[in-house]
Amino acid sequence: MNNCILNNLFKKCSILFFLLFFAFPLIAKVSSRYAFKIEIYRIEQHFSSEVNFKKAHYYYLKGDWDSTLVYCMRQLNSPNKNILLHDYCHVMRGMGLINKGLYLEAQKEFSFVSKSFPFRNKIKIAKGIIALKQNNFSKALIFFEGVQEKKSYYFYIDKSSFYHNIGLCYFHTKQFNKAEKYLLKGVNLQLAEKDTLEMTISYMDLANLYYEQYKDQKAIPYFEKAYRLSKKTNNFELRKNAALNMAVVEENRKNLPRALAYRKEFEQWKDSLNDQNKVWAVAETEKKYAITQKQKEINLLEAENKLKIAERNGFLITAVLLLLLFGAGIYFYRQKIKQNAVIAAQKERLDQLNAAKDQLFSIVSHDLRSSVNALKTSNGKLLDSLASKNYSQLDSLLHANSSIANGTYNLLDNLLNWAMLQTRQHYFHQEPHRLSAIAQQVAYNYAPLMEEKNIRFESTVPPDVFVHVDLDSVKIILRNVLDNAIKFSKENDTIRMYVQHRETPFCDLVVEDTGAGMPADVRDGLLGTAFSIPGSHRESTGTGLGMQLCKSLVAKNGGHLAIESHLGLGTKIIVSLPVNP
Amino acid sequence: MESINVLIIEDKPEESGPLQEVLLRNNYHVVGVAPTYNEALTLFYANPVDIVIIDIFLDGKPDGITFAETITIVPNASKPFVFLTFSKDRQVFERAKLTHPFSFLMKPYNELEVLYAIEMAVEKFYSQAHSASENQNAILSRDYLFIKKKNSLKKILVTDITYIEVEERYCNVITSEEKFVIQISLTKILELLDPAKFTRTHRNYIVNTEKITEIVVADNLILLQGNHKVTLSDTYKDFINQFRIL
Repeated sequence: MNNCILNNLFKKCSILFFLLFFAFPLIAKVSSRYAFKIEIYRIEQHFSSEVNFKKAHYYYLKGDWDSTLVYCMRQLNSPNKNILLHDYCHVMRGMGLINKGLYLEAQKEFSFVSKSFPFRNKIKIAKGIIALKQNNFSKALIFFEGVQEKKSYYFYIDKSSFYHNIGLCYFHTKQFNKAEKYLLKGVNLQLAEKDTLEMTISYMDLANLYYEQYKDQKAIPYFEKAYRLSKKTNNFELRKNAALNMAVVEENRKNLPRALAYRKEFEQWKDSLNDQNKVWAVAETEKKYAITQKQKEINLLEAENKLKIAERNGFLITAVLLLLLFGAGIYFYRQKIKQNAVIAAQKERLDQLNAAKDQLFSIVSHDLRSSVNALKTSNGKLLDSLASKNYSQLDSLLHANSSIANGTYNLLDNLLNWAMLQTRQHYFHQEPHRLSAIAQQVAYNYAPLMEEKNIRFESTVPPDVFVHVDLDSVKIILRNVLDNAIKFSKENDTIRMYVQHRETPFCDLVVEDTGAGMPADVRDGLLGTAFSIPGSHRESTGTGLGMQLCKSLVAKNGGHLAIESHLGLGTKIIVSLPVNP
Repeated sequence: MESINVLIIEDKPEESGPLQEVLLRNNYHVVGVAPTYNEALTLFYANPVDIVIIDIFLDGKPDGITFAETITIVPNASKPFVFLTFSKDRQVFERAKLTHPFSFLMKPYNELEVLYAIEMAVEKFYSQAHSASENQNAILSRDYLFIKKKNSLKKILVTDITYIEVEERYCNVITSEEKFVIQISLTKILELLDPAKFTRTHRNYIVNTEKITEIVVADNLILLQGNHKVTLSDTYKDFINQFRIL
């Protein structure tokens, strides 16, 4: 008796355990009937351009729920807002969510399905299944009965599962008679469909139903049937449960050896299942470990990379800085070399200028000394003549004095102008001037001198010739040229002043004399940059300062100077002056 | 024809003397010689002056330039002037240049240089610097016609001109007393003469309208003071409309 109660208690416990276990696969099967599939296929054909729907459908059939959910969502977000498509997507999502065990979300999905959806029954069934899952059996029954009441409930429904589910509901609400009726209906249909797996489950449920009512005679054959069928499947869970059920049954029948055998089988399946789980778990942890390992490696590599990049950047920056420094060094070095070259050139030029200045200084002082000396001796003679009252000599002596003074004045004037030109102190302003006027003004001063030497002077500069010059500098040039011409002319010689070319851009003023002329080397010397050497031919050659001054001034006016000369025949000085600004 | 009135500003008598002689010899009229800046101003405002010859340095100070600056900034008082200087020192000239237009004369100078400087000063002052293509001997200002005669410069009052007759490149200027030939282009003279007073009556004639005594339209003749007769051509007849005919 005591034993019996214990067994009974155990039996009940195990049955409850089975029930919880078997509900899942059955529900999953509910949706897998053809009508809905055909309809969905038809729709897919109709909307053949909707790739996402096609994929969703494909994965739905395959039972890949995650992919189904993803592609349904994509289809819902696509621009095609066809209600039918959306309904199917929502239904597929709902089914997928149920299979994933997310019942609340599944319910939400179903609520989005429009009223015009042709498979309303399917949705009701699905809602019933959700209620069943949540152990709300009476609510599930309401849904299922709602479907049954409609005439159309025959269509498009997986009837065996439907009946089975109703049976289960009645079973759990302790309405065993109704439960038996529906479960048997389901089994009969499953027999017709030859669905071994479902049949095994159904037999087990039926067996449990009878066992619950202590109808052991009816229950045991079903348990045995279920056990036999379970052998044909390869569902470990099912086989484990079938074996456990048989073990319990044999135990209650006191057939302990057999019970032990069944229990061993059960243990075996359980172990294998556990092993599998363990293997999975181990693999999982290993994977995780490997991943963390890899992650660590990656982190390490990243850190290394960062370090390397930092190092490389450091090198680059240093290299660039060094290059810049190097470049700057080279630049400054070159600048310094250039500066040195400029300074050297300047020094050389300054040395030259200084030498020239010294030379000029010595020439001028020599000249001045001799001039003043001549004046001194001449004045001595003048005093003597005055004392001896020799008046006839006075005139010639005074004239001589006057010419010496004139020459000295010219020398000093040139010296001053030269100094002004060198120091760039003199005012220089070019403007149009009548060349004939300038020529006249300069010649005016030399008229007495030429008369004295009996030199014939002809000026044929036309009055309409204009030159663009600085007046004073041209006067200095002409003064020097005329002075030279007179100096190198003998008595009765002729000096001519005329214009040779008057076409733009230059007008050539020629001063021609029939005087001494000069050899080519002297001419070249005059056109060169050196002053004449002091001491040689003092009387007639002069300092050369005048000629240098002329050249500089002509150049400053933008013109040029040329000399044509033949020894003994005369000299032509050609001064080319600019006509236009 | 009047002489040109010259004011000399020079502190050294030994320099102003010869200069005065040169000017007088060439028929210029020297209105005075001022040795200081103040006297120069007094003389300048007390006399009719056509040109001023200024020594830059008066008693060692550049008062000559100061004087030039003074008369340049007074409107309508400015006259052509010539600077006299010993040195071409740039600093002095930079200051003198500001009183542009100016002409200068370097000491020592000869007679020709003095005369040329005066001519240059007048030409520059009345902005009639000769261009290379022209060879004119007259300078026209608002009130006077300056005429170069040999080395000298003379002037006549513009209002004294009765008429101008153009003959090729020359113009005959006829006044009530005299007659001159000047070298100046007709276009230039037309540009410079006051169109309110002078009008063209013929291709070759420009007439001072104030000197007209009678216009004989039938004979195309204009009678002028001093019994001058000038032709009136059809092209220029329009000028009669300027007068109110009674």
